[in-house]
Amino acid sequence: MTSLPRLVITGSGAVTALGRDLASTALGLAEGRSAVAPVYPDGQAPRGASPAARIASFTTEPELPRAKARRLDRGSLFAVVAARQCLADAGWEMAGREERTGILLGTGSAGAGPLTEFERQMAVESPESASPFLFPYTVANAPASVVALELVIKGPNVTVIQKDPAAFNALFYGRMMLADGRADALLVGAADEWSLTYHQAYEHLRVTRSEGREGFVLGEGAGVVLVEPEESARARGARTDVRLAGLATRPAPCSPHERRAAPDELAETIRAALEEAGASPREVGLVHLSRNGFPLVDEAEEEALRLVFGERSPRTAAVKLLIGENPFAGATQLALAAAALRSGDGLRAILVNAFGAGGNFFSAFLSRQ
Amino acid sequence: MHGRSVVVTGLGAVSSLGGDLRSTWDGLVAGRCGIGPITLFDASGFRTKLAAEVKTLPTIASGRLRRRLSRTDVIGLAAAREALADSGLILDREDPARIGVVLGGGVSGLLDSENYYRDLLAKGPRRCRPTRALNHPPDQTTDRIAEMWGLLGPRATITTACSSSATSLGYAADLIRHGFADIVVTGGADTFARLTHGGFNALRAVDPEPCKPFDRRRKGLTIGEAAGILVFEEEERACRRGARIRARFLGYGVTSDGHHMTQPEPSGEAGARTIAAALLSAGLNPEDVDYVNAHGTATPQNDPAETAALKRSLGERARRIPVSSIKSMLGHCLCAAGAIEAVATVLTVETDIVPPTIHYEEPDPECDLDVVPNQSRETSVRVALSSSFAFGGNSTVVAFGEYR
Repeated sequence: MTSLPRLVITGSGAVTALGRDLASTALGLAEGRSAVAPVYPDGQAPRGASPAARIASFTTEPELPRAKARRLDRGSLFAVVAARQCLADAGWEMAGREERTGILLGTGSAGAGPLTEFERQMAVESPESASPFLFPYTVANAPASVVALELVIKGPNVTVIQKDPAAFNALFYGRMMLADGRADALLVGAADEWSLTYHQAYEHLRVTRSEGREGFVLGEGAGVVLVEPEESARARGARTDVRLAGLATRPAPCSPHERRAAPDELAETIRAALEEAGASPREVGLVHLSRNGFPLVDEAEEEALRLVFGERSPRTAAVKLLIGENPFAGATQLALAAAALRSGDGLRAILVNAFGAGGNFFSAFLSRQ
Repeated sequence: MHGRSVVVTGLGAVSSLGGDLRSTWDGLVAGRCGIGPITLFDASGFRTKLAAEVKTLPTIASGRLRRRLSRTDVIGLAAAREALADSGLILDREDPARIGVVLGGGVSGLLDSENYYRDLLAKGPRRCRPTRALNHPPDQTTDRIAEMWGLLGPRATITTACSSSATSLGYAADLIRHGFADIVVTGGADTFARLTHGGFNALRAVDPEPCKPFDRRRKGLTIGEAAGILVFEEEERACRRGARIRARFLGYGVTSDGHHMTQPEPSGEAGARTIAAALLSAGLNPEDVDYVNAHGTATPQNDPAETAALKRSLGERARRIPVSSIKSMLGHCLCAAGAIEAVATVLTVETDIVPPTIHYEEPDPECDLDVVPNQSRETSVRVALSSSFAFGGNSTVVAFGEYR
């Protein structure tokens, strides 16, 4: 492998159903609050109905004026707010750095709302009556592109879709970009909007939680971190105490929507992230679990932790049970992990797992230096 | 680019010109048009009624699996099968963990999802199958390819609108250069849907006649569908196994316009930055470029902006080299455009044949390039660029070089 530069995470931001920034999300999680709520009105829930973690009321101000927000899709709104918070947290001044700043976001559902509305207009009204203003936001790369337009980012702009760990996949690509000098800093994360269409599809597949059935819960929001080579971050006077020390993927062959995992496959992914970081399992103080309520993969992750850590497993956090599943959740976990390491509360290293459908598995290792 | 060198050892294609690489390339060289009346849905309510549809779907699976595959999955898998066969790889002898899959996609199985939406609206939720909505996310095809050939290396799907599959080539090459994989199946597949046709119609960006890139009479694009798959391989191992090397992947540029969601930056400054980034990544000078497979969508806005970008980045060289748009034959294959155009670019570098821009009759002073009008041309092409400028200001330019 060519040597990748030492990378640091210098800022974090998030919008979730627990709060419109990372701090309020972290507080909600610390208090054990759940954002999961019923989707259907009382008495109208179909058989097998699942709840979701939706963002009920949301203001984009001060990060984005309301007048601009009106024409944008939800995923883009969450992404712009989280990205601005992240850059403020990192102390990143954009002026003069537009061409050296990039954005890589993952998503699983961005554009679903405008797409469904556009389809409705074509089907119900007439094929030619659908709004031209809606069409640009039906594409899944809308959130990253809207952030690029709003923040005037002129470096790389890429969106990755690859099931739940899409943010980790974006990070995987982004660190090669930083190694190649394509940018000095990259906003990396994910943005998602909840969609009734996808919700019903997952209910039909019987993979989401329902009365008498275990499963995951869909959520929406955005999570973003700013990643920079340590050397240039230090040169601009940024805090460089949180390092992205390891990131590994070990995909398994599996049908696209199949959610299954073998403990040894997941353990190998975790070990690969630790190995890249040159870290031993003992150093891990917290594991942000991939656990989302879907028993088959949750149990495999639990067993994988036993295989890697033995009987002395580190503390764990299962954030997705409270804010819902979708790529934004993994990105939020990365943002939470970076913020926790920066806060200096004694944690030295955090492992973040993302084991998605279709055999898409990632682990990241963040450490305080 | 530093790191390990990346070469192209396999190609596969499915397009409106044919169900495989040979028929697609022969059609391009002959200047044949793959555009015709829309058959995949009732287009009578639309202002424009043409598209470059894949005429006959390849046979790729049977039974239950076939029923689960979207149209995009089918052509993507067929092109991957052809590319892997073309590469001469014997997968049983390879370490599957060293073979990745990185595709670009976006529309993907949306046509299935649309049929579901329509059933939902017409019949209500109890009379239709909601899982068809899940055929839309484009990572299905990537996962299907990995599943079908048991490939266990890094896997990703890029969605940057019309530059998706060009960007995927960059990610794929980076995986090899940085040592995360030795071989990557890359490119992309995309198919037609009401939404894309309706959306571009709503933007008044579709020509009612077959599209006419760089021509003064142009009124917009024609949507197409295609799959283009390339097998990227680390050069030394490709040489060791005696593979036929079709071309070298030299580098790429990926940038953001920061201008507008749907309009290209008109001065060419943004496009020129992407081309410059590709040249820098590939270690090339403008004088090294012998051919550009242009984005050339035939919209009133794109073609002059792209012409300006080429002049800004390549200077005088832009006027002296051939610049053609194969969208005149294949239509705009959206998220697969970068891939099918990369396949054609590799073949140009390999054969020294430049495919033409057809339907070209009236020159436009704002697009004063040598667009290889209507007939293919034989000329020495050692280095070629392929450009993709997409919605959201997502721009990617890739560079290929002949293998000597």
